[in-house]
Amino acid sequence: MKHILACIDASSYANSVCDYAAWASQRLQLPVELLHVVQRADAVSARSDLSGAIGLGVKTNLMEELVELEASATRLEVERGRALLAAGEKRLREGGAFDVRTLHRHGGVVETILEREENAQVVIVGKRGADHEFAAEHIGSKIERVVRASARPVFVASRQYREPRNVVLAYDASPAAERALARLVALPTYARLPVHLVMADTDNAAHRRALDEAAGRLSEGREVLTTLEKGKPEAVIAGIVEQTPDAVLVMGAYGHSPIRTLIVGSTTTAMIRTVRVPVLLVR
Amino acid sequence: MPNLQTLKREWLSNPRGDILAGTVVALALIPEAIGFSIIAGVDPRVGLYASFSIAVIISLVGGRPGMISASTAAIAVLVVPLVRDYGVDYLFAATILMGVLQMIAGLLRLNVLMQYVSRSVITGFVNALAILIFMAQLPELIGVPWITYPLVAAGLAIIYLFPYLTKVVPSPLVSIAILTAAVFYTGMDVRTVGDMGDLPSSLPAFLVPDVPFTFETLRIIFPFSLTMAAVGLLESMMTAQIVDDLTDTPSDKQREMKGQGIANFFTGFLGGMGGCAMIGQSVINVKSGGETRLSTFVSGVFLLFLIVVLGPLVAIIPMAALVAVMIMVSIGTFSWRSIRDIRHHPWQSSVVMVVTVVIVVWTHDLAQGVLAGVILSGLFFASKVKRLFTVTSELASDGLTRFYAVSGQVFFASSESFVSSFDYKEVLDRVVIDVSDAHFWDISAIGTLDKAILKFRREGTAVEVVGLNEASASMVERFATHDKPGAGEQLGGH
Repeated sequence: MKHILACIDASSYANSVCDYAAWASQRLQLPVELLHVVQRADAVSARSDLSGAIGLGVKTNLMEELVELEASATRLEVERGRALLAAGEKRLREGGAFDVRTLHRHGGVVETILEREENAQVVIVGKRGADHEFAAEHIGSKIERVVRASARPVFVASRQYREPRNVVLAYDASPAAERALARLVALPTYARLPVHLVMADTDNAAHRRALDEAAGRLSEGREVLTTLEKGKPEAVIAGIVEQTPDAVLVMGAYGHSPIRTLIVGSTTTAMIRTVRVPVLLVR
Repeated sequence: MPNLQTLKREWLSNPRGDILAGTVVALALIPEAIGFSIIAGVDPRVGLYASFSIAVIISLVGGRPGMISASTAAIAVLVVPLVRDYGVDYLFAATILMGVLQMIAGLLRLNVLMQYVSRSVITGFVNALAILIFMAQLPELIGVPWITYPLVAAGLAIIYLFPYLTKVVPSPLVSIAILTAAVFYTGMDVRTVGDMGDLPSSLPAFLVPDVPFTFETLRIIFPFSLTMAAVGLLESMMTAQIVDDLTDTPSDKQREMKGQGIANFFTGFLGGMGGCAMIGQSVINVKSGGETRLSTFVSGVFLLFLIVVLGPLVAIIPMAALVAVMIMVSIGTFSWRSIRDIRHHPWQSSVVMVVTVVIVVWTHDLAQGVLAGVILSGLFFASKVKRLFTVTSELASDGLTRFYAVSGQVFFASSESFVSSFDYKEVLDRVVIDVSDAHFWDISAIGTLDKAILKFRREGTAVEVVGLNEASASMVERFATHDKPGAGEQLGGH
């Protein structure tokens, strides 16, 4: 049986991740797997011992010291994680989730998500992690890694939960956008929600035709709007999202190689950063 | 194309700790590189360039972030005869071939052979290495002005006591600085690094070793290259395991093998001698907070900076200061706990450990010691397992049939006791041998069973063997169950 993988940490996004997971769980009739990853404090770099002297039994002593340091720090983290998971589970059940399983793992956040996504219909994460609490307008460092490596659609929760009533689909006729469109047609989560197709490109017959064709595929029993406007994709799409009440933005993600992204930046990252609504990323 | 995030994690996740640790390690590399150039009978340049190039290359292509590789004692002691008889160009050629052999070993995934190196052998190897490092310091301690001894003692005192004052600066560095200043300003007459040979003042250049490219040359260098490659990989695999344990992160051993090969291959062309991972320096690195590729990279680059830019300063460092640092590395490398363990470990393990040490110190060749240790631990293991074997028997009520039940491990070492556990002289009509609880491991075991059956037949006794299928199912090679899922249950299941 498939499930929804919801990942929480001690950031303020944990609540909205749970709320969106509960909402998706209701609409999909799938259980939620609530994941919290305990990241170990790195004792090696935390010791700040530059003496460089190694004496009798240094290997065993160092080993014991590192284990001791890490064990005590991790025990605290584990306790906090348990409390988080318990609160999350309570919130999910109150939010009407179909069923909830909690999962507590040690390791790297990204690696663990990739291990656990095998049976996930969708992976839900917060826009920022606990380390980025005060860096507004930045997205968490883990998001891009998860999305690039994941084989599942990733739903990035916004800070405030509002039940999605409208969908904005960023469409540019690229393979990634086509996949996002196909996903949107197939997903019961967004069934019957009105969709607004947005294309940021010059207004010509070819683009118009592509947009109308895409709209045609969506029009089964729902309202479809289209916008074709020239401009920077981030600006055009963000503008439409602003005007749409309770929107969720759906887009194909990271269509370009990491190298290109390093040089010119990524539309996807810019998009997630600027809009204040949840984003569903499909690769 | 490794992905960007992995690159970031392996290079930039801990820059402060890595840069500082790399700096500390670079200082710990100098004495070793110079010291072992002297042992190998080559110019200090050779060791210094090798250390720089191995450290930098392995930081890019190795499989164990945070591990330190450079030119080492283990390799230096192997090449003494080669340099003595044929000259330094043959050493460069041998280093290039060593790299090729290591790359082949990496491609063949020979890292799995490490599973057959027991813990006692590893401990023996580490202890032998520490003894070799210490012995390498002896030329600097014998037949020198008496003032050398107080200097070495002072150096060691500073190294071990200074961390109680502050842990912000590496104490070996402080020790070297203080001793150098003391010797320089008092004008003491002791040997300095400058007396050992020329220090490079230029960057290393790419050169092809000046040897005839003939079959004869290959014949000369191949045995050396083979031993160098084996020792280098052994020490690297062990060190990787130690760094894995300390940082609790996994590493790619196969990639590390190939990386060592690439590093040595190019180092040979830069006019350097071969090297491998270093236990002492890697521990210093982790202890100082280094854990990614950046620390290894910094150690190599900073080493080059030290020798090229601070060359004149390095030349006035008294050898006594470097000897003190090397004694520290050897003390830190030695597994002191193993001496205490000799008393309460099984005697076989202690014998393996001691034999490994003795053979290494005697031959100055770590590969021979490890080989002896592996063979010994194999023999001890076989002699322990062959005792897991029993034969019970009972006579049927009519007194004409005897049932033998064999259980346990039958293989080459226990085959003799298998044959002798039957009474062939007893007058019977029929013998039933039930082997369903026995494991027949090899063809010696099967041959033994045939032999026992023939011996009974000669006495005119009819023999029936029961449960042979189960017994020979453990002949792993024949049925190759070890590469099918569930092999473990099968082997343990009956």
